[in-house]
Amino acid sequence: MAFERFTRDARAAVVGAREQARAQGHHDVEAEHLLLFLAGRAEFQALGLDRDRLADALATEEERSLAAVGVAAGELEPSIAPRAPRKLQFATSAKLSLQRAMKVAAARGDRRLTAGHVLLGVLAAERGRVPRALQLAQIDVEDLRARI
Amino acid sequence: MFTAPPTLPDDPADALAAVGALRRLADRVEDSAVERAVLHGWTWSEVAEALGVTRQAVHKKHARRLQAAGVLRGGR
Repeated sequence: MAFERFTRDARAAVVGAREQARAQGHHDVEAEHLLLFLAGRAEFQALGLDRDRLADALATEEERSLAAVGVAAGELEPSIAPRAPRKLQFATSAKLSLQRAMKVAAARGDRRLTAGHVLLGVLAAERGRVPRALQLAQIDVEDLRARI
Repeated sequence: MFTAPPTLPDDPADALAAVGALRRLADRVEDSAVERAVLHGWTWSEVAEALGVTRQAVHKKHARRLQAAGVLRGGR
């Protein structure tokens, strides 16, 4: 990945997503972690992204997806020792977001890849946890994309 | 943990989302179960055999975090 083309903010998003995943005790960095990190930034909050609401929507998505196959997961006691020491890897969804971000930047003729491009890359997903959570959070993705 | 017999949701999006959610849940159950086994004095070999994976695999996946949390002292 052409990481040297990433602006400081875009690099911060990559690092921030990893910290977000770690803080949640998740095993991999996913697109949802990029989204949550970016939703905490003032420039994107100004566009209507709300980090807490998205976090709730992601939790609801998980709960409903499990309930759909008859599983109630609320009772599991959390592990004492979450996976943390290891450097968390970027899973397919996060890699795809960054690849899409680069495509967006290229299509716009931008030489540098910004945090806005990363967010557009995340929002480009039509399937999976991110679009499902965005829908639950009642976020108008088309409108949001047009304003980034 | 089951509240109803598992059935496949009609919507493919819901069915596929359930697969991801179950995998993440299985990871969390594994973390807690391995932790509990180690606290009960199980060796890595025993945990590995019970999970049906190699000792190396289970050690690689769990040893560092259990050491970091003080659940496990040595490298056993």
